[in-house]
Amino acid sequence: MQMPEPDAAVIARRDSILAALRKIVPATSVVDSEEGRRAYDADGLSAYRQLPLVVVLPETVKQVSAIMRYCYQEGIKVVPRGSGTSLSGGALPLADAVLLAMGKFNRILDIDYANRCVVTQPGVTNLAITHAVEDEGFYYAPDPSSQIACSVGGNVAENSGGVHCLKYGLTTNNLLGVEMVTMEGEVVRLGGKHLDAGDYDLLGIMTGSEGLLGVVTEVSLRILQKPATRRALLVGFDETATAAQAVGDIIAAGIIPAGMEMMDHLAINAAEDFVHAGYPRDAAALLIIELDGPEVEVDALIDRVDTIVNQAGASSIKISMSEDERLRFWAGRKAAFPAVGRISPDYLCMDGTIPRRALPDMMVRMAALSQKYGLRVANVFHAGDGNLHPLILFDANEAGELQRAEDFGADILRACVEMGGVLTGEHGVGVEKRDLMPIQFSEDDLKQQQRLKCAFDADHLLNPGKVFPQLHRCAELGRLHVHQGKMPFPDLPRF
Amino acid sequence: MTETPLRPETLADILPIIAEAMATQQPLAVAGASTKSAIGYPVAAATLVQCDRWTGILDYQPEELVLTVRAGTPMAELTDLLESHQQMLAFEPPDPRPLFGGNHQGTIGGVLASNASGSRRLTAGAARDFLLGFEAASGRGERFRAGGKVVKNVTGYDLSKLMVGSFGTLALMDEVTLKTLPRPETAISLTFPAAHFAEAQAIIAGIFATPYEPSAAAILPADMAQKAGLSEVMQVVIRLEGFAVSVADRATHLLNRFDRGEKQGEAESRRLWQDICDTRLLADENADIWKISCPPSSGAEILATLEAEINSADNPYPYYADWGGGLIWMAAPSYTPSKVAFGSILRDAVAQHGGGFAMRVRTADSDQGLTPVVVPPFQPLDAGRLALHQRIKAAFDPIGILNPGRMHQGI
Repeated sequence: MQMPEPDAAVIARRDSILAALRKIVPATSVVDSEEGRRAYDADGLSAYRQLPLVVVLPETVKQVSAIMRYCYQEGIKVVPRGSGTSLSGGALPLADAVLLAMGKFNRILDIDYANRCVVTQPGVTNLAITHAVEDEGFYYAPDPSSQIACSVGGNVAENSGGVHCLKYGLTTNNLLGVEMVTMEGEVVRLGGKHLDAGDYDLLGIMTGSEGLLGVVTEVSLRILQKPATRRALLVGFDETATAAQAVGDIIAAGIIPAGMEMMDHLAINAAEDFVHAGYPRDAAALLIIELDGPEVEVDALIDRVDTIVNQAGASSIKISMSEDERLRFWAGRKAAFPAVGRISPDYLCMDGTIPRRALPDMMVRMAALSQKYGLRVANVFHAGDGNLHPLILFDANEAGELQRAEDFGADILRACVEMGGVLTGEHGVGVEKRDLMPIQFSEDDLKQQQRLKCAFDADHLLNPGKVFPQLHRCAELGRLHVHQGKMPFPDLPRF
Repeated sequence: MTETPLRPETLADILPIIAEAMATQQPLAVAGASTKSAIGYPVAAATLVQCDRWTGILDYQPEELVLTVRAGTPMAELTDLLESHQQMLAFEPPDPRPLFGGNHQGTIGGVLASNASGSRRLTAGAARDFLLGFEAASGRGERFRAGGKVVKNVTGYDLSKLMVGSFGTLALMDEVTLKTLPRPETAISLTFPAAHFAEAQAIIAGIFATPYEPSAAAILPADMAQKAGLSEVMQVVIRLEGFAVSVADRATHLLNRFDRGEKQGEAESRRLWQDICDTRLLADENADIWKISCPPSSGAEILATLEAEINSADNPYPYYADWGGGLIWMAAPSYTPSKVAFGSILRDAVAQHGGGFAMRVRTADSDQGLTPVVVPPFQPLDAGRLALHQRIKAAFDPIGILNPGRMHQGI
């Protein structure tokens, strides 16, 4: 992975940068030593590592604003970081950039039940929001699998999802407002406790912008009342195609389950070996279908889904009769990644989305690719929304295997786009999928996206080297091709 | 404005029109079926480009919850198609006819450009939550795509969010992909009397603190309740939707737990929510119509601040709330009896009580013989957001070809 060439002049000024930062935050909040910086050299995509120039840990918005203003004026790059759980390298440091770690923004500021809203600092973890409001029967819906560790600021940057997002939406659908600091150090408030923007939806644009447009310093989240009941079905199938058909049949019947997960044969067995959840080892595909809501509704829908999967040709069906049993159904799925980690020294987790009807074709394609690259692949899959998580098994200590695994992954993502899907459903582009962006987008598409970036950060100082394969200078992006070679209003600033 | 609007057939047709406009520095007024052209400033342009011929269903996969259509497709056609598959656009786009007149229900492109979302917005999300991807022509005269045609996607910036609610000032969308959802099997409503607005808010907050999942919640003051055919006292209206067995069960629980509730059957419920969602209750007022988005619990305070104006004995300003109290619809004259521009004191009141915005969606025919309205239709932007708006406008439409000044001067 080629990152932008570090600016030697900035690195040479390291001492003066440290001194300037120590004037903005307490000296202990500037991490200077190699040992200290080592803790920040990677995020959840640990195949890539880089020591940051310096790590700074602000604790007030004023400090963030001062740091950004200083870096903007001095032409120093900034990489923002939440809890560092990104799976796409969104928080990968740069050798010539200040790593802005937001971990000290760790307080919930306001719990407002009347408006069903929590206002919090961005370093608070996703799960802590639910913990703070569950005594009153509320919860925060998006539940990325890293929810015990990931920060809500990072959730905003990545537009995080989770297994329940088919019914409850991604972060963007549950976010009411943010306070953010621009690269120039301006503090801007977007949204609040009210709904919608009434002007350009800057909140929508910030969400999922992977730390390239601004640094989030406060987050307002919508909370929901917990559903009264949750029950799940565990359904085995002899063929993946039949399982995919059953998923379509359930939705066609007007049922949107709270969660609908699929696992393939290899994933089922890895999980079963690990947690003994009672999964059907012979099945080619397993569906976990969770229904939530009022008890009578859940009971009625369990019956309907039972009928549908039977008619679709399920080979085994279990229905949870207790909360313990429901949790046991989920235990294997939730442990799927570590379970695969037990059967292989390393794995790569991919994240493409396809139209669900393409799933049988995709499974055939993946089997062929697995042969071609000589690497095994286990599949877990958010079946309701077509979001694939193929886990490519490899051994980083074998020469060339990481490269082979990455090539395999890239081929899977190419196939996703070819089948009408996209490169990433929830993990983000980051550095991981950056160079694959031209598969999904034309040069004009990417240039228009970068023009938006220029509106926020005209000098490409904020988290550069992520998302876009090629950095175009904003002046170049702003050039207009006008008929008869005449540029109107030549004095207008353009980018 | 020219007599006959340009009505291009395809996105390819619009590119030379934009190129010509750029070369001659002549802005374009762009629209779908022009049903909501009353919103915002009139666009000072010699040419109107109407995209109501960009019609057609390109792909509909009900089981994937995905629908791709051309942006000029009439809402009436779209609604029929979705109904035939027991699906819907869950953000409940309001029918523009009661408020803006005419016979056309608008185009999907216009619905998206104005982020027009109805009563279910409270629980299901707005138009902005349902646009998955699009292809458009920018004000640079370039074609570009963003987003995708699947329900889960975080690849690149979410430009769909930016397009929705931008009133055609950034780019002209052609192909749009939307997320659809199953239509509820049934829908009924419950009404609860309230002594005053704050009590109504408290009832709604109480109901949302139960697991009985209302899909919409409104507050109708006595005059509005009467107009809606309910009763002569203030009413909280709660809609329950979903599977019949569930709706019946939730209704029973709520009627047991909250006092003096009454059940409104399917037909009555449908009529009530048309009145509320489509703003029929205020449509016949000859006054400015304001849409106020505020924190749900701020309504009573905002109304109290404006008490002297809105509840004057001889000329009260009618209003009601949707979105659980977070959306106040109000019909008010441009000037108060003391000759103050009402929009200004309204916006001050909103800012004072938790923030939000007030948008004037329709302007009264008569200006009471006073100077024309000077209060901007869109909530003025603070310095930080204004700078970002200007730069975003420049990123998509650097010369200011597309609907310049429709939302804000210079944007």
